[in-house]
Amino acid sequence: MSTTGHVPRHAAPGQPGQPQQPSDTQVLPVVDDTTTLPPVSPATDAPPPVTEEPAFRPGHVGRAVRAAIWLVLAWAVLAMPTNLLSPFEIGVADIDIASRAVIFAIGGLSLHVLLGYCGQISLGHQAFVGIGAFTSAYLVTDLGLSFWVAIGVASLLGAVQAVLLGMVSLRVTGLYFALVTLAYGAFAESTLFGITPLTGGEGGKPAPRPVGFESAEHYYYLCLGFLVLVLWLDWRLTRSKAGRAMAALRENPRVASAYGIDVRAFTLVAFAVSGVFAGIAGALTAHHDEIIVKSSFDFRLALTFVLMTVVGGLRNRVGVVIGSAFFAILEEGAFVALVEGAIGGLGFTPTFFDSALGLPAEFVGLVVGPLLLLLTLTLYPGGIGQQIAPVRQWLTGGRFDRHAGQVREVEVTDVRA
Amino acid sequence: MSVLEVRDLSIHFGGIKALQGVDVRAGEWEIVGIIGPNGAGKTTLFNCITGFYTPTKGQVVYRGRDVSTLPVHKRTALGMGRTFQNVGLVKNTTVAENLATAQHLQVQYATASGILGSAGSFAEERRVAERGELILHLLELTDVARERVADLPYGVLKRVEIAAVLATDPELLLLDEPGSGMGPEEAHALGDTLLRLRKEFGLTIVMIDHHVPLVTRVSDYVYCLNFGEVLAQGSPDVVRRHPEVVRAYLGEDPTDAPVEEVAAR
Repeated sequence: MSTTGHVPRHAAPGQPGQPQQPSDTQVLPVVDDTTTLPPVSPATDAPPPVTEEPAFRPGHVGRAVRAAIWLVLAWAVLAMPTNLLSPFEIGVADIDIASRAVIFAIGGLSLHVLLGYCGQISLGHQAFVGIGAFTSAYLVTDLGLSFWVAIGVASLLGAVQAVLLGMVSLRVTGLYFALVTLAYGAFAESTLFGITPLTGGEGGKPAPRPVGFESAEHYYYLCLGFLVLVLWLDWRLTRSKAGRAMAALRENPRVASAYGIDVRAFTLVAFAVSGVFAGIAGALTAHHDEIIVKSSFDFRLALTFVLMTVVGGLRNRVGVVIGSAFFAILEEGAFVALVEGAIGGLGFTPTFFDSALGLPAEFVGLVVGPLLLLLTLTLYPGGIGQQIAPVRQWLTGGRFDRHAGQVREVEVTDVRA
Repeated sequence: MSVLEVRDLSIHFGGIKALQGVDVRAGEWEIVGIIGPNGAGKTTLFNCITGFYTPTKGQVVYRGRDVSTLPVHKRTALGMGRTFQNVGLVKNTTVAENLATAQHLQVQYATASGILGSAGSFAEERRVAERGELILHLLELTDVARERVADLPYGVLKRVEIAAVLATDPELLLLDEPGSGMGPEEAHALGDTLLRLRKEFGLTIVMIDHHVPLVTRVSDYVYCLNFGEVLAQGSPDVVRRHPEVVRAYLGEDPTDAPVEEVAAR
């Protein structure tokens, strides 16, 4: 579009019925200060050029130490749980716990899409995961489909049910939406999961592991593979227009829509993505347990999901993964066993929680979790992600700065439109 | 054909008549100023034009098309871009990130292929980032590109906001108090910027501002609103001298308060 030859319209002054004559005595008394002062040239307006500080580069020793720690981390994730190149002898039960930790990480990332990116809390996530689990188990056991088809269908169905719930969220927000999700979780638990032909009722539904991944070690790598896939999708989500749209609509739906973002559509996209992740987590849970019962998908699971996501650190992928894995280990009683083993070594009764407090190991998570939540909300709003940020910065070749990753919450200013 | 035509627009909130039979017109490449005392209904008018409010009566016509029933994001897609009275930016992210967010409608890949991470989406993301840098460069904001929005001063944010709305590729710019929080020198520079943007982007601009010198300097046509009605309209000088306008701004009897004294305050 060119503006050459354009002459702005100067409409006829005044309006019929209104005084047309400009009055000399009554002029809006405005000191035209924009013309009395010279315009400020941008050159003087700009701050003095900052002398570029040369970027920090670690020395030879620093690089070697960092590389060594990376190797140890890679070993701890890739080799140690399956007794490869490892001095430890880890039993099958503990390998299962490692797989469980990876599956929880996928579940945590699923809730994180809603809670972290969209600011929508879901207290019914056990339904998201449970529907994926039962779908996959049903398809494999009753219809004889392969695991790979089943997990695909489970993730699709996860997306569909999440979008249906999301449509409700477009009507109610905040606390009321949380209540809707709570009701949805309870509804799924007592009705959907009670359909005996689909879920096997109280007896549960067998869900055999896929061919080639029957052993605990191989299944662990399968879960790890899916975690990598989910991390990739999550990363691309935040780096593409969908993630930016979610960030905008979480903080300010009015600004988001002024940017041309369809707020409703992108809220539903978030639900769909969360549903896909939850479906994957559900299918992996089913084939991990090899027989699933509906009692594994109770409200406690939904609560754990919220705890691990917030304690892990909202909008911090690595934090959520670590937080989820931590809660999975806590849930399985492995952490308690570890602590009690250590205490036992010091000569105390090793079954402190169980005998002294009468607290079964699997409930420890629900006691420790809220305490951690409290600490997170009051001291470290960035959760585990904030606490590991200095180490993470150092590991990626930066300086060790213990203030790295400080979460500075923006005060909620409403944009008056 | 005029770019924007507001026909007989009324909006009532309960018993409060925020706007009553307002007619506003903006022709191609015009800069139209809207002035008026606080509570005159200026921002309400913008909210009706951009779709945040549904008017009780009347129409909003954009390039001959009645857009009265379209939601906000569809109007943005048609080329109506707006800024907000308080800064309308995503505050928790950087300026560059905001520019990318504002290009939402220009992004050339499907949502799903972006999430899957297709090769094309990487290239497109680079293009989006470059276009954002270009717009920031145009408004001399390159220095703050990596800064977090919440850390920047108000005056800079008002300019960042204009950069962001330009990134939505608008043909009609609706600016709600672009000069607020700026000193006279900055306001003068803003006036130059607006005139330049009109020339370079072929924009039509409708702006609300309290800074009367700024409005009278850049506007081709000025509307003065008071109590939800158009009090006066015409060329900037005519509106400035209009006795009704003077009274709306200064009170009933201007002779009691000498003009010079009021101006000095």
